[in-house]
Amino acid sequence: MGFLLGVVRALSGLNETVLKAGRAIGIAALAIMVAVTIVQVFQRYIMNNALAWPDEAARFCMLWMTGLMAPTAFRRGGFVAIDILPMMLPPLLARVLNLILLSLALAVMVVAVQIGWREVTGLGGRFASASLFLPTSLDLSTWYRIPRSWMMASLPVGLILLISVNIELILRNLAEIVGARDLPPIPTGDGMDTGARGVD
Amino acid sequence: MLIWFLPLFLVFLLMGLPVVFGMLAAPGIILWLNGQERDLTLLYRNLYNGIDSFPLMAIPFFMLAGELMNRGGITLRLVEFAQALMGHLRGGLAHVNVLSSMLFAGLSGSAVADTSALGSMLVPAMEKQGYTRRFAAAITAASSVIGPIIPPSGIMIIYAYVMGESVAALFLAGIVPGIMVGLGLMAVIKVMADRYDFPIASARKSWPERGRASLKAFWPLLTPVIILGGILGGIFTPTEAAAVAAVYAMVISLLVLKTMTLSELPDVLGRAALTSAVVLLLVGAAMSFKTVVSLSHAPQIMADWILALTANPLLLLLLINLLLFVVGMFLDAGPAIIILAPILAPVFEGMGVDSVHFAIIMCVNLTVGLATPPMGLVLFVAAAVSKERVTTIARAILPFLAVEVVVIFLITYFPALSMTIPRLTGFAD
Amino acid sequence: QDYTIRAVANSNEEDEDYDGLQVFKSHVEAASNGAIAVEIYMGTQLCSNGAECLQGVADGSIDVYISTLDGAAGLFPYFQVLDLPYLMSDDRVAEKVLSGEFMRSLRDRALADSGDTLRLMTIGNTGGWRSYANTQRQVSTPADLQGLKMRTVVADLPQELARAMGASPTPIPWPELFTSLQTRVVEGTANGITDIMSMRFPEAGLTHLTLDQHSYMGAYWWMSNESFMALPEEQRRIVVDGFYALQQATFASPKRKSIAAYEAFAAAGGQVYVPTTEERAAFSEAAQPVYEWFTGTVDGGEEILAEFRSAVEAAEAEINDERSRDIQ
Ligand code: NA
Ligand code: NA
Repeated sequence: MGFLLGVVRALSGLNETVLKAGRAIGIAALAIMVAVTIVQVFQRYIMNNALAWPDEAARFCMLWMTGLMAPTAFRRGGFVAIDILPMMLPPLLARVLNLILLSLALAVMVVAVQIGWREVTGLGGRFASASLFLPTSLDLSTWYRIPRSWMMASLPVGLILLISVNIELILRNLAEIVGARDLPPIPTGDGMDTGARGVD
Repeated sequence: MLIWFLPLFLVFLLMGLPVVFGMLAAPGIILWLNGQERDLTLLYRNLYNGIDSFPLMAIPFFMLAGELMNRGGITLRLVEFAQALMGHLRGGLAHVNVLSSMLFAGLSGSAVADTSALGSMLVPAMEKQGYTRRFAAAITAASSVIGPIIPPSGIMIIYAYVMGESVAALFLAGIVPGIMVGLGLMAVIKVMADRYDFPIASARKSWPERGRASLKAFWPLLTPVIILGGILGGIFTPTEAAAVAAVYAMVISLLVLKTMTLSELPDVLGRAALTSAVVLLLVGAAMSFKTVVSLSHAPQIMADWILALTANPLLLLLLINLLLFVVGMFLDAGPAIIILAPILAPVFEGMGVDSVHFAIIMCVNLTVGLATPPMGLVLFVAAAVSKERVTTIARAILPFLAVEVVVIFLITYFPALSMTIPRLTGFAD
Repeated sequence: QDYTIRAVANSNEEDEDYDGLQVFKSHVEAASNGAIAVEIYMGTQLCSNGAECLQGVADGSIDVYISTLDGAAGLFPYFQVLDLPYLMSDDRVAEKVLSGEFMRSLRDRALADSGDTLRLMTIGNTGGWRSYANTQRQVSTPADLQGLKMRTVVADLPQELARAMGASPTPIPWPELFTSLQTRVVEGTANGITDIMSMRFPEAGLTHLTLDQHSYMGAYWWMSNESFMALPEEQRRIVVDGFYALQQATFASPKRKSIAAYEAFAAAGGQVYVPTTEERAAFSEAAQPVYEWFTGTVDGGEEILAEFRSAVEAAEAEINDERSRDIQ
């Protein structure tokens, strides 16, 4: 019991720290998405000189935003689900059901992250970006064409974070089943509560 | 048989598994049992590529615009404007509630945002004038479904993306149905107001007073003009329009109206990013799900099955409306569209129903489902902002739901209602 | 039935690709006496772009896929060679070049560069020849393209070419092109007549077509090397013949379809302009920077361009020889 609580506390703290960094990057990514899209409208409509890179750069940011924000949403219970059955069951049964559901989700994510990693390192990751480059010398004379793997890594990274959250949730659930009552709460601060469940 | 992934998915869903995992787990398990391991890669790849899309970027952008609009100030000005126009009528605040939702709908694509922004302001105000709390909450919830029907609309962006339709066409097709829902609700209010002697909110405003109110609401009310005008005028694509709307909302709330400070911006961005990530992941999973729908030939099987019931398209549309209405009782509009559109739309397109028309039937029906008991999302939000019980609101909302059902039937059987604007502007044929 | 070939094309059933696949399916299923079944998936049911679908071919979750130039360019930049403008004069030359050793040379390169996973089976046609079309004015010289917002795919070569013509390259995804033309987000595009008509672009105001025919719309047909080599040799022969039949079908289909397409274009108020020999030379002259860009920046570009040019020369010589004997 004490050991379980200790593990929950440690993992909870770790997730909190890592996801906080993820949120910061996700927020920056959204800001960049807006900025480059506006730059493109300006360039095309006002300057009559459309750019090739804003589309891909914005998608790059959106993928990483999704990968880095989704684990926080999952941890705070923000994934859309029909919760009639869990709400109708008595607390203990509901927790057992929740444990089953979390394990199913874990299985999905473990399979997905393996495929995801193969994808990043496979042929698909070798496709060169059509428009994104990084300078490889200080005088900007040589450029490196960013491979698709840099974008594709967003999903496996997101899945690893989701798995970490999922394990924390499973352990919390177990701890609650064996009667633990003083678990560290999952903070819902910075205005990002789970009231916003989706696009509706 | 691959088609078994559909019942399995339903079981997972009813057990309470998050939709996104269900859409991956059910097809994944059946593919694996079928010995089609290589297709698991296809499932994963469509999850990733489903998110990697430029048109989809409209979702985070409109989310952000909505979050910005919600930060005080803007909503207040819209309500004051609506009050200057309709406050003097019997049942004035109830009318104001509906009109505010119609105006708000031009800025936001979400019914939940509408309920929480307008409800927190109008429910207490209506109570103070002597309306019952359940009535105030009910009309707030009922009118909020206009939000995703009048453009912009989050669920229409999703529908367009998942089904390869034009976002602009769906947006334009939503205008008339959205206005019809608003006018229908006002008609119900008028009848009730005369019978139950509803209060009048304020004395008739003079035209200079109305002028001042519209001046104060001018900047927010310009948003739909910018969005639709920009798209129709070729200044930007629908996705870019969403980014422009976000920046515009930022500029008016930071600089013009000064209802927000720069230090609040990260929070606003964070909320938009968090909600968007959930939706984007869901859409990605939907694209995976759709792949298996294709591999399993589900639309053909479904078509045979449906056509065995009846071949009369008018009757089928009635059946489909019933199905959608029931689904909408239990599932939010976004996930329901993601799950059902790839299965149902091909069946009806095969029978000659215009794809944009079908999209509107589906979107409006499922949006109304947000306000139906037992699982209507906006009922819960209305309950939260009004502190009234869900079951009480659910009873009070019935007359309004009735009129919304009438609107669903009208747009189902009179395609011209939704199709005329997109046709005239050349966005549908 | 022992084998199933899952074939994917991102276009729709109106497209030449579908004609080709029908012929392929019919040949392979008949010749193998039903031992090989071909399942056709049109559109984006299984995958939606070049990178994604080719990845599927590489790992065998898709057996056959047709990519256009921009799909393959992300992995094999030198495949853009076919998009270099004004290198081939007509269908007869193009068909001879693409049926010859040049395809085998490309196949070997692609196999080597993809770790023996992507096998180029044949190069067909998908929509005739690429020509300039716009919503604004008659284009008879490169100067008329000056300042036009020209839709391109997000690949380097088409953008370089638009820039060389003085136009403003604007990347727009194909499904958004109709709306973009209609709302004047872009003013021009470079496509073949069948695609212009199947997308109903004249309704979006695209009414000026200049038949400069700058490049042949080649289509690369890929097969998963693993799936192919898993077939017994006898079946491989059937599949290879199937691709030959497919290639012939895609060569023929646009020619037949373009007749009705030109008529429909004219009926929709479209104006077709055929540039004179001098005007065509001016286009070709204006396009020169693209060749320098290709040989200068694309790995192996110089070599593949030389190979391509000599294949074209050989084909022209052969055709001239055949023709001079046929008219006697
Ligand atoms: Na709206
Ligand atoms: Na309202």
